[in-house]
Amino acid sequence: MDLSQYAELFLAESREHLSACNQLLLEWERSPANLAPVGGLFRAVHTVKGMAATMGYARVTDVAHRAENLLDLLRRGGRPATDELLQLLFRARDALEQAVELSVVGREDEIDVAEVVADLDGAAAQLGPHPLAPSPPSGEGERGGEVPPVGAGRLVQVTLRAEAPLKGGRALLVIKKAQAIGPVHAVTPSESAFEADEFDGRFSFRIGGTAGTAEIERGVRAAGDVEHVTVGGEERRPGTGAGAAPSAAPETKSRHIRVDLGRLDRLMDLIGELVTVRGRLNELAASARDPAIDDVAIQVSRLSRELQDEIIQARMTPVWQVFDRFPRLVRDLARELGKQVAFRVEGKEIELDRAILDELGDPLLHLLRNAVDHGIESPAERRRRGKQPEGEIVLAAVRERASVAISVRDDGRGIDRQKVLERARRDGVVDPHAEALTDDQLLRVLARPGFSTAEAVTSVSGRGVGIDVAVTRIRVLGGSIEIRSVEGKGTTFVMRLPVTLAIVRALIAGVGAERYALPLTYVAETVEFGVQATTIVEGREAIVLRDRVVPLVHLRRLLGVSGDAPTRCPIIVLEMGERTSGVVVDGMLGQQEIVVKGFDAPQGTLPVFSGATIMGDGVPALILDAGGLL
Amino acid sequence: MSDAGVVRLLLFRVGRLVCAAEAERVREILPRLDPTRIPGAPPVVAGVVNVRGTLVTVVEGWRALRQPEPSADGEGGGTTVLLEVGGGKKVLGFTVDEVVDLVSVGGETLERRQALPGIDPTLVRAVGRRADQLFVVLDTDALLTPILSS
Repeated sequence: MDLSQYAELFLAESREHLSACNQLLLEWERSPANLAPVGGLFRAVHTVKGMAATMGYARVTDVAHRAENLLDLLRRGGRPATDELLQLLFRARDALEQAVELSVVGREDEIDVAEVVADLDGAAAQLGPHPLAPSPPSGEGERGGEVPPVGAGRLVQVTLRAEAPLKGGRALLVIKKAQAIGPVHAVTPSESAFEADEFDGRFSFRIGGTAGTAEIERGVRAAGDVEHVTVGGEERRPGTGAGAAPSAAPETKSRHIRVDLGRLDRLMDLIGELVTVRGRLNELAASARDPAIDDVAIQVSRLSRELQDEIIQARMTPVWQVFDRFPRLVRDLARELGKQVAFRVEGKEIELDRAILDELGDPLLHLLRNAVDHGIESPAERRRRGKQPEGEIVLAAVRERASVAISVRDDGRGIDRQKVLERARRDGVVDPHAEALTDDQLLRVLARPGFSTAEAVTSVSGRGVGIDVAVTRIRVLGGSIEIRSVEGKGTTFVMRLPVTLAIVRALIAGVGAERYALPLTYVAETVEFGVQATTIVEGREAIVLRDRVVPLVHLRRLLGVSGDAPTRCPIIVLEMGERTSGVVVDGMLGQQEIVVKGFDAPQGTLPVFSGATIMGDGVPALILDAGGLL
Repeated sequence: MSDAGVVRLLLFRVGRLVCAAEAERVREILPRLDPTRIPGAPPVVAGVVNVRGTLVTVVEGWRALRQPEPSADGEGGGTTVLLEVGGGKKVLGFTVDEVVDLVSVGGETLERRQALPGIDPTLVRAVGRRADQLFVVLDTDALLTPILSS
């Protein structure tokens, strides 16, 4: 019997439950007298225990069992949480998490749970008598009194509890338990069907041998999560199968299924190819001037666009899937550093492409660490400055046009610009006579690898890593990062990210004989160069657009394209938060959906590309990165 | 490459040099494709090409090996060999004038790195001989990896 195919599912579901445990523990910590979270904790741990037992992960089962036991006592006892108890439960949760992760990769032996198990038992012993459930009866027992039937065997119909997780694995376990009692055959549906999404936990099999009804039923129930068992008499013909279970538990089928991420990626790749081919078809149709071909091309375009929208939608994931681990992290850090922090998350439901979201964890981690460590002052210092002793950190997601802005805001001491300026002058990052740093310059200085102004390197941050990691990662994703910092008031980092990576609408710009794609995400408008008067602002050529100074970037010069630009040419105005820039190109070749692909950038490649795409004619075109042009 | 075992090599000509790459590193042999220039990249990089939907960065063989530029009216316009770099993690294109042969040679017929005039010795893994002609087994990783940024 192979349960390994369930390992991934077990891991995913356990992670969800353990993440929920964190939220519940934090909630309980905030209001220790409110016992509502305890019930939820108990259920989550209980579920993990059940799944782990099915999978045969002894360490996980052991820790979960002890934790569940303690939680049960707490739930019944109605006692408010003490700090000691919460620390223990946090530790137990972490041990569970570690045990889960290691068990799945077959390294269960590496984790030592003896200490946390002993502490959990100790805490439980202090609270009251042990209500430890007796261990489940084993499959073997005394034989029933009836005369055992022979032949094809007896029909056993099983219905698993509707809320049972990993029904497929559980069903396999039932079969395994039954095999210990007698030979099993005619499993309906077949064992391979257990893993199907549609498997609803109802199945039947025939069991031979001499065991009595009671023994069979006990054996089957020993697998756990069994709602209903009927053991029929001897029958020569197979029964009507799985559906025969009498009035099973009400169907509460979820409308969601889990889809392997690799499959979603594959779908995205395929639709990407289709979009590229669609481009080619449209070009051919345009040159063929045949209404019949036009018709087909239009239909193919419409259908593939709908398909593309659906696939992109299927990849959208709410940000809480990444944000949810931060409350615990901020709490632990604050405790370690002796700070008081109220942490708030806003816009949890905002969605981003899964691939982008997965990359956001690290940058956010760095920014939050910095906020707790360098941003928020100690309670004493805050009081001295007339602030509340408790600092505030807000992690927020907001949808803006075609992008999502994610900000990390603290109300701490802000960045000491003078100190950064001194370092920047010394390192030659800015002009030695520079008097002040703008927000942009500040970010550029902070983002230098290894830059740190922290007086002491703490275990948390201050090694200079952090901002540079965040900036690099966000840029790779085609996004931008901004900083706003006011001394004494706090610091805010804002990251802007495209909602999806793989397929974007882009302007195709011509420069000389070359073509470049510029995603519309940050394009505000286009105006004409040669008609607009240009001025020089801070040494840069710029145009003034409705009282706004827009510095110009001549793409031809930037990219080293030889020849002269036409006298009149379009300016593409980019806008990213507060920053703006006008990109001068030779001409606009149209607008189209492009599939973003990566390429191996050689040494020296200008840092203004976020990838490349394949145009309708099959020739690659590089994609300009708005962040790099601003 | 072991000393005793038989190695399969792809032989190709770049300018005056006959070079070889281990056949197991060769992903594909394609006609020369029109590359899209990558601004800022060194001249040794021809650009990026589309190989059935995948973007491949192409290195100009004659520049990498400091050979004269092939004449534009050359036969067939050259060939692009797709090579695995860094243990198969990346694939780069490498332009050659023509593919000469695919040969199996015993390790003993190859001599360990040997200075040859006209080629950087750090790019040479071994030197072999085929029908009185010397060929250079290239260290493709040493040749191509430095061109890519980290």
